[in-house]
Amino acid sequence: MIIKLERIRIQTRKSEEVIDITPRVEEAVEKSGIKNGLVNVLTSHTSSGVLVTEGIPCLEEDILTHFSRLFPEDEDYHHRRYLDYDGRLGFNADAHLKSVIGGISCMFPIENGKLVKGSRQTIYFMEYDGPLERTYFVQLLGE
Amino acid sequence: MIDFHTHPVLIQEFVEKYPDYERAARQVFNIGNNFQPLETFFLQMDVAGIERAVLAPIDCRRARKNAVSSNEQVVELCRRSDRFIGFASVDPLRKGAARELENAIKTMELKGLKLDPSLQDFHPGDRRVFAVYEAAAALGIPLLIHTGMSWAPETPLELGHPLLLEPAIRRWPTLSFVLAHFGWPWVWEATALALKYPNVYLDTSCLYYDSPKEFFQFVFSKQIPTTVIERSLRNKVVFGSNYPRVEMRNMVHAVKSLVLTEGCLNKIFKENAERLLSTP
Repeated sequence: MIIKLERIRIQTRKSEEVIDITPRVEEAVEKSGIKNGLVNVLTSHTSSGVLVTEGIPCLEEDILTHFSRLFPEDEDYHHRRYLDYDGRLGFNADAHLKSVIGGISCMFPIENGKLVKGSRQTIYFMEYDGPLERTYFVQLLGE
Repeated sequence: MIDFHTHPVLIQEFVEKYPDYERAARQVFNIGNNFQPLETFFLQMDVAGIERAVLAPIDCRRARKNAVSSNEQVVELCRRSDRFIGFASVDPLRKGAARELENAIKTMELKGLKLDPSLQDFHPGDRRVFAVYEAAAALGIPLLIHTGMSWAPETPLELGHPLLLEPAIRRWPTLSFVLAHFGWPWVWEATALALKYPNVYLDTSCLYYDSPKEFFQFVFSKQIPTTVIERSLRNKVVFGSNYPRVEMRNMVHAVKSLVLTEGCLNKIFKENAERLLSTP
């Protein structure tokens, strides 16, 4: 059994952003030497996400628009208080809730050294509270 | 737009370069956010519509062991980008502080002075501090001075009271005092100083509970009427975010949520800061 973990940094450039990371995950799979197994992709933050959907701009826009409709920035959130461990106010509850509902990880099979996914499936890194440098994990398990 | 109040405390490139940089951020300034590449600073400015930002160091080495950013670090950042406006900080109780300030302005080309009585542990009315006020007045630079509550641990509230500055404000009428954080919670006192004295300005970087918009709606409509800013202080208020304690875009949105005319907002976001930063 081979287990590998890659920590990948990504610089987001907007307050909210949808970034296609499929090629980077495929590269990690191919470099790993694993022929058959699983790959797990996971964000390391609680105000960003990882999700899978069809890779077309209209859907990218719809996700952000309707997540914002569900969790408006100006809603009444308990999170808006001083966080002593951070030395600052928490006023990004909307970003946290988008991360919760959109998910923070995805998993795909590896077969014959390649990522196996549906033809329409795209893996996205979701920024809900940028711009920031972010880190996501790609963990590969197999043989 | 100009942000008159930011702190370069989370620059990733400085963590390895300067051994005390991380301690200063975590234990002195008290901020827990991840360190970020310098590029993030510029991107944060971009999404907020900020063209230039004042970088404010705090020389609190005597009181807190480490400076919260040094003059040298600010100069280094200013050399990387003309979007930064570097301020100097000196410990006003240290011998030779006035000369150190003169050197920072004339040799290091820094544009203003930043002091924080709470973090630097000095009384703003202490006569030993006067030499630094005198030097700043002679140099024709603005003084951005912390007033109001500080989030930094072990800092006494009372040293942030705006009225402690009145003797200095009266004694140096040519020195522009920019009272940071609008003096919160002493907003009326800070407002009174700005109304009374031509050399007193206020920055908007106050946020102590709720969200920026909620806090501004309360402070600038219930604590003091919004009309005070629109009618009487339109030439005396500058935009400051206190980034990275708060993201610039959140503070920009909060200021814009107030019922202020476009002319007044232009002064707050740009014209007043430009006037303060123009050399005499």
